[in-house]
Amino acid sequence: MSYAAEIRGPLVLGNKKLSQVSADIIAPVGERPGKWWYAGMFIASLMLVYGAYALYITFTVGIGSWNVNNSVGWGWEIINFVWWIGIGHAGTAFSIFLLLLRQTWRTSINRAAEAMTVAAVLCAALFPLIHMGRPWLFFFIAPYPNTRGPLWVNYNSPLFWDFIAISAYLLISASFWYLGMIPDFATIRDKATTRIKKAVYSVLSFGWTGSSREWIRYEATGFILGGIAAVLVVSVHSIVSTDFASSVIPGWHTTLFPPYFVVGAIFSGFAMVMTLMILIRNIYRFHDYITNRHLDAIARILVFISLIMGTAYLTELFMAWYSGNEYEGFLIFGNRVTGDYAFQFWAMFICNAIIPQLFWSKKIRQNLTIAFIISLIINLGMWYERFNIIVTSLSRSYLPSTWVTYHPTFIEVGIYVGTIGLFTAAVLLFFRYVPMIAIHEVKSVLKHNEIEHGMIEPNTGEQ
Amino acid sequence: MDALCRLLAENLEPAEIYTPYPVHGALRALKRRSKLSWAAWFYGFFGGIAILAFLYYTAVIDWPLNYGGKPFNAFPSFIIITLVLIILVVTILTLLTFSLRAKIFPFKKAEILDERATDDKFIIVFDAGHVNRDQLYASLREAEAEEIIEK
Repeated sequence: MSYAAEIRGPLVLGNKKLSQVSADIIAPVGERPGKWWYAGMFIASLMLVYGAYALYITFTVGIGSWNVNNSVGWGWEIINFVWWIGIGHAGTAFSIFLLLLRQTWRTSINRAAEAMTVAAVLCAALFPLIHMGRPWLFFFIAPYPNTRGPLWVNYNSPLFWDFIAISAYLLISASFWYLGMIPDFATIRDKATTRIKKAVYSVLSFGWTGSSREWIRYEATGFILGGIAAVLVVSVHSIVSTDFASSVIPGWHTTLFPPYFVVGAIFSGFAMVMTLMILIRNIYRFHDYITNRHLDAIARILVFISLIMGTAYLTELFMAWYSGNEYEGFLIFGNRVTGDYAFQFWAMFICNAIIPQLFWSKKIRQNLTIAFIISLIINLGMWYERFNIIVTSLSRSYLPSTWVTYHPTFIEVGIYVGTIGLFTAAVLLFFRYVPMIAIHEVKSVLKHNEIEHGMIEPNTGEQ
Repeated sequence: MDALCRLLAENLEPAEIYTPYPVHGALRALKRRSKLSWAAWFYGFFGGIAILAFLYYTAVIDWPLNYGGKPFNAFPSFIIITLVLIILVVTILTLLTFSLRAKIFPFKKAEILDERATDDKFIIVFDAGHVNRDQLYASLREAEAEEIIEK
């Protein structure tokens, strides 16, 4: 006699058949979207124009058009770089960690998370480039035989590691995302009714037919990329943190930084995934695929990571006191908890460590309006965290005569707004031209779904 | 799955199967294996040696520079960059190998047997020259095949 308890709800609701899954998910692809899409694209374009203007000034005038100075050498640009790269961690965290752990609930969410990753990493990559001052000479950072000696690059520098790690991350996340879409593009190709659509998706599907010889290699490639990208996810943000931690600046010179940055990145990324999934679910009525259970799982992960973030903040405070280092103590207690930047510190603490605790309540986890607002608050809090780390430490250097208060210029704000426009435009294009949910992956969990929830009797147990 | 196992038990070896999603049981039953993970391991191992050799050549032999008193061959601080470059090399070469072996590449024209294979149909293909036609038809009907098409 066996007893089965219903621990988890079904992954896909509505007792779907395979062809229904294809039809439902393909329906919005390449079709004329609603007015909201054009309105969103218009706003994103305005933001892009502002960003393009700011970049034009940055290129022609130089970084003197920013308010960074000898003391606060890294201002909004590095805050935004770290913020975007953090958001870009969710796609990989979702797809790859959950793929390696064989978590079937990832199937409805991973596609959007990966798309978001690629867009966010593109936004992030812009900032170190323009921060070089002469961006047209950016290739100097690559180790290639050159006529300057050849002067090779410094392999000991975290800034060089960063360049390689971000390039690798962009390549892997984009190819992982594209690889996942190939069978789905083939489905669109084979169901297309217009000639143009058929031609476009034929090219995009790379000649996919769904044969066993393709599937076996496809899955192996997915696992290999997933396995190595999991290492990369951890190393990219650890490397970003060593940009700070290998210095001797109070508030930066700490061994806590690598795990603190990696967890923070996954935190903001998951929050952005929640924002996007709630939007996709409600706009396209994908309630059967992105169920309450999916969003509940994300909320539970967020509340857990929020506790880690809170612990990290308190560890910083504790170590500043316990180490007895007067510079560290002065910075943390005189220039973060209190002082000119107290607002940013407390905004960070409340947004990241306190407000997400509301997710302990099942009612709040299931109220999607509140969940949506909390997901936005987390991303705001994570932005404040980066502000807190970068500006507070730099604004009070060892030489009091150089102390300054930092504010961004119109141009710095413009670059940030421009990247938000770029991200929004990329996401809107994704909504319109690409299947937002991984069709073949959802199909592969249907059987599992049916067996687990008694819709059919298990037979061989293999599928 | 049942149909495939029954056909295999009767020694009717399919030339190929087409499915809308990876059916792991079927891939196992057909003894499909991929050596891509070995290839990736090979790329990583030899790629790693090549990268360390490159770092050593450029930082020690070709143009040594003193960075804060560190030895020219500052091996521990080369580890991170080696790791990241290995990941980069493995990714690029694995993707190329996948493309070559699975014959999936840009602008390839798909040889589509039936357009429903990427939607909701599971297709088992037999080579007419390699199987007994009557036995195959009988077995396919017994296995409740929805359609039998000869091409």
